[in-house]
Amino acid sequence: MAIMDVGEFRIAQFGTRLGTRLEGARARERLESLLTSLPEKGQVRILLDDIEVLSTSFADELIGKTYQHVVDGQYGECTMVLSTPSLDLAEGIDVKLAQRRLAMLCLQGGRWRLIGFHTPALSETLERILEKKRTTTRELADELGLQMNACVNRVARLAALHLIHRRKIGMKGPQDIFEIHSILDG
Amino acid sequence: MGTTRLTIETIDAVLEQVVDRKAGAVDLRDTRFIDPYALLLLALLVLETKSRGTRLRLDWPEVPAVRRWMRAMGFFAEIGETTPPSARDVRSALQPITAISDETGIGRVVDGFHHRLVERYPLTESSRRTLTAMMIELFQNIPHHSNATGDIDDSHGMAAMQDYEDSLFLAIADKGVGLRRSLGLREGYATITDAQALDAILRDGLSRFAEAGRGGELKRIVGIVRSWDGTFALRSGSALLYFDERGGDVYDVPDFPGVQLAVRLPLRLFGADPVDR
Repeated sequence: MAIMDVGEFRIAQFGTRLGTRLEGARARERLESLLTSLPEKGQVRILLDDIEVLSTSFADELIGKTYQHVVDGQYGECTMVLSTPSLDLAEGIDVKLAQRRLAMLCLQGGRWRLIGFHTPALSETLERILEKKRTTTRELADELGLQMNACVNRVARLAALHLIHRRKIGMKGPQDIFEIHSILDG
Repeated sequence: MGTTRLTIETIDAVLEQVVDRKAGAVDLRDTRFIDPYALLLLALLVLETKSRGTRLRLDWPEVPAVRRWMRAMGFFAEIGETTPPSARDVRSALQPITAISDETGIGRVVDGFHHRLVERYPLTESSRRTLTAMMIELFQNIPHHSNATGDIDDSHGMAAMQDYEDSLFLAIADKGVGLRRSLGLREGYATITDAQALDAILRDGLSRFAEAGRGGELKRIVGIVRSWDGTFALRSGSALLYFDERGGDVYDVPDFPGVQLAVRLPLRLFGADPVDR
């Protein structure tokens, strides 16, 4: 993904102590405009810099609801990631994503991690994909020591959550073979 | 009836006297201490009896410091009473009674509370963050839920805050529809009791909205207060959930409209002594 496809969204543009559901809903309009303006596989990076307080209600209205629409495919294959100076600050987002059974990649202190609803298996698989940037289900299954079925299921879940991009490149027997791309490879 | 301490733990005796036994007066002459939760409930009790066409007589505390504090908290103005004789002592109130009505004003109210707090305490970043987020969630519940059924003329939302030697006390109250009627709007919850509504909201994290991202805020706040060894009281209708560092339970209380909530947190959590001004 080319770098120009990444749109930054600074939450501090709405204030430093945020906020009510109403404020979150108003902010969501701008986030949705940004998503609409991005190309097919564009990405929004949400920045929490300069924020003092982010309530769970604001987090849900702005990020939870929008990300739900992203995952539902309303913005094509667009993805959304988070960047925060502290995990403490992202706690409300973590809580609300988990409540919606969504997960998002979050950058803190130079390290990417999953927040929201996820399992160790999902995190392990995603971590490997991020390391490799590009791989296949076959390669991944070998490296993680998984049955092909289990690997395909994990990849399908990650793709459904818009945490990876995948493209079908063929079949082996009844099984689809996918090429997998990290969403951070720009 | 006279009481020396009007607090979370004792205010229901006053309500019982007025609501259940139809007493026309509350004797506060011997009262030497009132906490913000009891103060807000007392104000709502006066307003509620007034709205039903009767006048509740309050015999004011004889201790001047208590009257001064009540005045500084804006109690007399809130209930539309003439202030009993006392000097004005604004400094004794950390945050006087503040009206909470629509959602657009919440940010300003939270900023006000935040300002009062940081003026007196050099809060750590983490404690400021948690407290402010807590206030946003609690305050916005009033416009979101206190008139959920649309049939309340004045739900009279308000909040106040006070600090003590060892604790910080936040109180929020309204006389709106209450938790049971609010949650009762959700399919399958129309016939629940007050105690069941408290349980569903605080234990299961339910809201009147079925959407996945809604609800859970009060449950989370309860978890935070518990982990901080604080005291929490949430009263709605005829049920009260109360706990402190020693434990707690749901109790039957005299039926009263709306939702009243108190959070008392140990001051040591804020990692600092008051600013000496």
